[in-house]
Amino acid sequence: MPIDFSLTEEQKQLQALARRFAREVIMPVAREYDEKEEVPWPIIERLHEVGLLNAIIPEEYGGMGLKMLDEVIVGEELAYACMGIYTIPMASDLGITPVLLAGNHEQKERFLRPLTEKPALAAFALSEPGNGSDAAALKTRAVRQGDYYVLNGTKMWISNGGEAEWVVVFATLNPELRHKGVVALVVEKGTPGFQAVKIHGKLGQRASGTYELVFEDVKVPVENRLGEEGEGFKIAMQTLNKTRIPVAAGSVGVARRALDEARKYAKEREAFGRPIAEFQAIQFKLADMLMGIETARMYTYYAAWLADQGLPHAHASAIAKAYASEMAFEAANQAIQIHGGYGYVREFPVEKLLRDVKLNQIYEGTNEIQRLIIARHVLAE
Amino acid sequence: MVLVVLDHDGNKLRKGSLEALTRAWRLAEGLGEKVAGVLLAEEGAPLEEARKYVDILYTATLGPYTAEKWAAAVLEAAKMGAKAVVAPSSRQSRTYLGRVAYALKAGLLEDTLDSSLEGSEVHATRYAYLNRVTQRVKAALPVVLTVKTNTTPLAEPLEASAEVVPLAVPEVPTVEVLDRVAEEKKGVSLTEANVVVTGGRGMGSAEAFKGAEELAALLGGAVGATRAVVDAGWRPYGEQVGQTGKTVQPALYIALGVSGAVQHLAGMNKSKYIVAVNKDPEAPIYKHTDYGIVGDVHQVLPALIQAVKKLKD
Amino acid sequence: MKFVAVIRQVPDGESRLRIQGGKVDLSGATLILDQMDEYAVEEALRLKEKHGGEAVVVGFGPERAEEAIRTALAMGMDRGVHVVFEGFADPVAVAEALVPVLKEEAPTLVLTGGQQADWDSQALGAALAEGLGVPVVAWTTAIELEGDTAKAKHDLDEGAEWVRVRLPALFTTQQGLNEPRYPTLPGIMKAKKKEIRKVQAEVRASVELLSEEIQEKQRLGRILDGKDPVAAAEELVRLLHEEAKVI
Repeated sequence: MPIDFSLTEEQKQLQALARRFAREVIMPVAREYDEKEEVPWPIIERLHEVGLLNAIIPEEYGGMGLKMLDEVIVGEELAYACMGIYTIPMASDLGITPVLLAGNHEQKERFLRPLTEKPALAAFALSEPGNGSDAAALKTRAVRQGDYYVLNGTKMWISNGGEAEWVVVFATLNPELRHKGVVALVVEKGTPGFQAVKIHGKLGQRASGTYELVFEDVKVPVENRLGEEGEGFKIAMQTLNKTRIPVAAGSVGVARRALDEARKYAKEREAFGRPIAEFQAIQFKLADMLMGIETARMYTYYAAWLADQGLPHAHASAIAKAYASEMAFEAANQAIQIHGGYGYVREFPVEKLLRDVKLNQIYEGTNEIQRLIIARHVLAE
Repeated sequence: MVLVVLDHDGNKLRKGSLEALTRAWRLAEGLGEKVAGVLLAEEGAPLEEARKYVDILYTATLGPYTAEKWAAAVLEAAKMGAKAVVAPSSRQSRTYLGRVAYALKAGLLEDTLDSSLEGSEVHATRYAYLNRVTQRVKAALPVVLTVKTNTTPLAEPLEASAEVVPLAVPEVPTVEVLDRVAEEKKGVSLTEANVVVTGGRGMGSAEAFKGAEELAALLGGAVGATRAVVDAGWRPYGEQVGQTGKTVQPALYIALGVSGAVQHLAGMNKSKYIVAVNKDPEAPIYKHTDYGIVGDVHQVLPALIQAVKKLKD
Repeated sequence: MKFVAVIRQVPDGESRLRIQGGKVDLSGATLILDQMDEYAVEEALRLKEKHGGEAVVVGFGPERAEEAIRTALAMGMDRGVHVVFEGFADPVAVAEALVPVLKEEAPTLVLTGGQQADWDSQALGAALAEGLGVPVVAWTTAIELEGDTAKAKHDLDEGAEWVRVRLPALFTTQQGLNEPRYPTLPGIMKAKKKEIRKVQAEVRASVELLSEEIQEKQRLGRILDGKDPVAAAEELVRLLHEEAKVI
């Protein structure tokens, strides 16, 4: 009997902890941080206190050594309360993953341990103002000068960029080499010439700090290079293959929230003499939401399982990320529809769900790029 | 016999005692037995009043209350053949009677809404699950029964006054009472008030409670607080209404800036009328509201005060 | 020194309760360590952290209640004892089952919640104290150990008082005593390796549950728009005076 759909005792406790944290710590303040577009440091500190921040760092380096499946369980619970706030620890894991994949022992010790000792974040910088999907066309330039790389350029849409202790920056040593010329460099906060400018006016996920990073003759020590010159692109892609999976988990959390809010409203709101939950039109919407949530969750667990088993998971994570974000967007959309006019105003929680989860279709590789990855897998047979 | 523990304030029997007496008399009549009272005092007690409600009155003056002393005294009286021990519910009585029930190996029927004798068993109704569920329970005699206030008609005095029998209460290991911290009695007692005006986190500050105090005073009621407000230090713990605070059942409960968490509802959901003012139309409190206003508490509260003043004139 | 917290597993206050066959059916409910007992666990942990010794959690209930014991272990208790019993047992019966287990543990101090969230009972602590032959300090808001005595602040019906009591003694706990810590992720990992000793309970129930029903009073639900606070307030007062006749 190899397939087992049940959670272990520890996973159940982890889920209970994340659920309680979401309800008691995040939910009461999520709307406020969204309105103010402010990063919730008190929540980041509490996440660290309970052991949920940067938890994928292995025990060897002072972390909790959580597996991808554990991350997915936590992600759904935290995103239920607020996808924007969940993106903060999620993006920190995004920064940590290249170090785990390509860093040597000394680098892991140097970069990862400090993230376990106090509330601190990492970040991952690949996209630029001029290129997102066309990642290999990046223009940020690294020039080797003795014991340093000198970095010049701009990165865009970087989550945690202004808060992180260090950022993994992907730069090119030679643009003509395209993806073979890319190098991954860890740039530490406060390095002269490195500036982070916060981007304002986002539609959603406003509690997460999104930054433009500017590098002007920033000197990065050679010891901060992850892997070899020319390996940077591969490291970035391998990272995204993994980190898409928590994004899918977050989408499931948002969709579940949309369903719970819609259910609650539909049971109370009356029209034509009865609760609207009794009408088929509403029931079909609720059913569609649940269909999406259950299937996305199971597939996300599957993709996480593949990753934890060390099996190839690129197309599975792409399926999970694309499917979950699309079903969640539709779930939020229908939740607003069920609420009618009340769904259109800020006092009710559903409009925020739509605004937040829209980004899940865009970041960590647009859903169009996910489809290319999936098609590549289809056509490879 | 049926033994009733008579609660008092030093000068008069409390209302709960008269309700407990009614329940005790009903059981006693069913069993064909007498009713004995036990009147325990720290210093003074309403002896003459108490004698009018029972067939025999056991007394003891015990100094400062402790659960062990009160339990020992009740057990001493119960030795005289009690088939049931009845008392008004309070935190103190539910504590020392917990000891008594264990010692007597009796069925403990706690904080009951009603009780009746069925053969040699007592049936009772009570609340459970944070006041959300009504339970029917039963226990064989001997039984220890506590009576929820405001559930039972008050007993009428008898024609004759009972014989008084002082108890010889044995010394028992107990706590040493060091220092009493009196609760600041601001007007009407929360649990006895007919109107309660409670402020929640939505009040925004301790200062905003002046409005709640004014409204409570105009309506002849008491001020209550939610756990969040007490945690924030705006109001004292003695005003907290909820699972970990007081349970109230006034005719009118006004909740200002209260979201309606289950633990708070448990403390007030049996109020006759519940009124809520909150700016969040989604707040859970509205599911449990008779009359409500969706609006800013800071604007609605002064308007309510004015409207009540106008009504009084 | 040994600090024992007695706990139970109860439905989460936000859970929807269902009635099946005339009794509450907990099969769909989220079950948690009783919040009142959490204060007891937290206090046991603080006392152990301050004075040394062992912090033991003793839980009573069916097999599934083990999850609540694990939660207490994840908060930091050293080991657990699970007194197993499926079915309804009144607080006095529970106390009778627990007394021999507690006597065997020979604790310095026993802590348990002041009121249970399922039966709404306040009796367990007092009944345990009677069975153990020790004093009970109910509704405690502060405890200070002083060698073989303890000083504690606790609530009375009116006001509060400070008492001194010879140990061993039993304290019932409530909000205000402390702020319970979360079972952190490292705590959950460590709890995996901690011992839970199982004991089959001898239970002699003295109260029988006949039936249960959910009776939530149907409220009128007359909600007014407060955009014009003065008009809304006047209308509310009119309704309370003329319709409800309550002011």
